[in-house]
Amino acid sequence: MEMSIVIQTWMAAIFTILIYSIAFRDNNLFKFAEYTFVGAAAGHSLVYGVDNIRKVGWNNIVIGKYFYVLAFLLGVMLYTRYHPQYFWVSRYPLSIMVGLGIGLSMRAVVTAEFITQIKSTAAIQLIGVGDPFKLVSNLIFIILVITTVYFFLFTFPKAHSGGLGVIPKIARYGMMAAFSYSFANTVLSRYNMIFGRLDFLYSNWLPLPGAIIALPIVLILLIYAMLPPEKRPWPKKE
Amino acid sequence: MSGQGKSIWDTLENIPREVLYGILLVVFVVPMIFPLGLPVPVSANVRKWYNTIDALPTGSVVLIDFGYSGGGEPELGPMAVAVYNHLFKKGGIKVIAMSTSIEGPQLWDKAMAEIRPERYGAQYGVDYINIGYITGGETAMAAIGKDLRATTSTDYKGASLDQYSIMDGIVDAHSFDLLICYTTGGDQSEGWVRQWYTVYGTRYLCSVLAMMVPTMLPYQNAGQIISVTSGAQAGEMETLVKVPARGIKSADVITLTHILCLAYVAIGNIAYLSKRFSGGGK
Repeated sequence: MEMSIVIQTWMAAIFTILIYSIAFRDNNLFKFAEYTFVGAAAGHSLVYGVDNIRKVGWNNIVIGKYFYVLAFLLGVMLYTRYHPQYFWVSRYPLSIMVGLGIGLSMRAVVTAEFITQIKSTAAIQLIGVGDPFKLVSNLIFIILVITTVYFFLFTFPKAHSGGLGVIPKIARYGMMAAFSYSFANTVLSRYNMIFGRLDFLYSNWLPLPGAIIALPIVLILLIYAMLPPEKRPWPKKE
Repeated sequence: MSGQGKSIWDTLENIPREVLYGILLVVFVVPMIFPLGLPVPVSANVRKWYNTIDALPTGSVVLIDFGYSGGGEPELGPMAVAVYNHLFKKGGIKVIAMSTSIEGPQLWDKAMAEIRPERYGAQYGVDYINIGYITGGETAMAAIGKDLRATTSTDYKGASLDQYSIMDGIVDAHSFDLLICYTTGGDQSEGWVRQWYTVYGTRYLCSVLAMMVPTMLPYQNAGQIISVTSGAQAGEMETLVKVPARGIKSADVITLTHILCLAYVAIGNIAYLSKRFSGGGK
């Protein structure tokens, strides 16, 4: 195995252990890993930012596409937001960015997220569905769509009380079920991430020479870091 | 509770998190060391995804967005690897990768190290390529759809795209037969629907974090995405592709840890209800 890969694996393994130590107790080694990660991520973004300026902007100007000078100017103008007197200048490039983003989204958002979704919901069938499971499923779907739309559209108090109160109640149960489904999936995602890191430790790091000795040392250091300073056997406070 | 001893229900309701995480860690580690080999049933969406790729005619061009971050790699990485294995195994498909996530190029490298395309006889620049990170999010998607060369003229290592035969005839969204996106961000997964499916009608497969699946399913139900899968279903894809890897390994662990999670929920609820019925609860 290449030396660079070995170093990467060791660093990734030790930082993984330090980061997950927060699950047990906050400690300085976790903070060290956290700050290192933030710093590395910021550095990585900076490098890509500079590369983008070179690739997308500078390279085009060099080949004679002088229109890109405007993009540079707008980019520089963004930094005026740090100046107490001329911060308003930054609003112009920002408004162009916002306008561009909204314009791009709007050309498709009405079709993609309104018309197609409404058509798809309206196409749900109750008649002629052979599969009883699908029939019940479609029925629940229709009831929940109608009650949830009611819940958010009719917000005046009378629409949520008396006999009509049952409609928002059904909507609430439906939404709670949807949130639960999302939450359960979140747990699945998180567990998968933990497994991924543990599998990395087990399959990639521990087989490396010295890793099996390093593991208990790292764990002991972590336990030590988790102890409150007054309970640490060493160094003793004067 | 002052003046009274703690009941068993109080103790169960307030188990220290160190204990809960400790047990969880054990349940993670034990099946990793001693695998149970639990079966991995294949769901309809994964099968639909597999069939879509399987039905691609020879010479098809696929665009893959490595739009996930390092944090999402343990979940989405195995799925990306399994799908690449399928594409290379099938052969005759041109696979062009790009990234809307800044970490994408590095994660693509990691995936390639796992896949080892050379064992399928696939060559960089001929059968597959990575054109790198393209900044701009949804703006980038729209720009690639309109004119790919306007967004980048080099691959992810800075080499000119003109020297690679795979890029011959690749102009815009119409040059692609299928779009695949792996992402940890809703902006990307939904952005491709808005900027590619809606505008060009490009067929689209999407794999996201499990927590994003409920948000993406309406797009599948409306026919805008052929199939939405979560990265957690990588084991199913590996079963179909017959290249077992990290996804299948996780099946035992994920099953057991979820049983533990259910046990935690049950203990918490039993303790709460018992306290309530014994008059201890509020």
